[in-house]
Amino acid sequence: MATTSAPTPTKAPAPAKAPGREERDQREFGWNVMVWNDPITLMSYVVLVLRRLFGYDHATATRLMLQVHNEGRAVVATQPREQAEVSVAQLHSFGLQATLGRP
Amino acid sequence: MAQVLRRRGRIQVKVDKREREALIGIIDSLSPRLAAPLASAPRAYDDAKLQAEYDRWVRPDIEKGREVDLTMVRDALSGGEDTLPLTEAQTLVWLRAFNHLRVAAGEILGIEADGWEETATDAAKQQPEYGVLMALGYLQEELVAALDS
Repeated sequence: MATTSAPTPTKAPAPAKAPGREERDQREFGWNVMVWNDPITLMSYVVLVLRRLFGYDHATATRLMLQVHNEGRAVVATQPREQAEVSVAQLHSFGLQATLGRP
Repeated sequence: MAQVLRRRGRIQVKVDKREREALIGIIDSLSPRLAAPLASAPRAYDDAKLQAEYDRWVRPDIEKGREVDLTMVRDALSGGEDTLPLTEAQTLVWLRAFNHLRVAAGEILGIEADGWEETATDAAKQQPEYGVLMALGYLQEELVAALDS
């Protein structure tokens, strides 16, 4: 038997907290492009690729290459996710080991 | 040994018939290995789902590009000329192609750490892939220098 009853007053659910602008920016724009050391690729070639793909001058590209060589990896750019993925794909097309991820 | 020259702003590779044949032989012997996914193929993401999307939508273009790079270099070497003029874009193609081949050679040799040149045994140095690494490394250095000059 169906029963009727007065509707129970309900409390409106609290809206989900919208991400703050800083958090949103971090999620959308703050993707690190990371190059990893590998034992085969020449240092001079890595410098050339970083210069060509990211427009770095020779000194900056060399510093990043040495960081890759000495520390095993280096963040070579921080970009929006889609752009970071394109950068990683370009690095892969040159044969470099590269990943993207959030800081 | 093949030479890379920069004259009047143009890059030229001087490579005789024997060297051209050797380079074509390297491309032909290592291309099948490059056609299969390399164990050392780089990942883009830590996240498995994002990596799967990358493998589905992006990696095929990278693999196709690798094939095109090797075909372009092979075609240039097959033309019968001792002097091959290269534009900057073509020089980048050659650099990429040589890197693909060196990565494949390094994988065959099982190279996993820096310093392999110093630690290689005499037996390893006798392997044809070791010669590939050294010869193509030399050519890559020359091409990079030509682009930088």
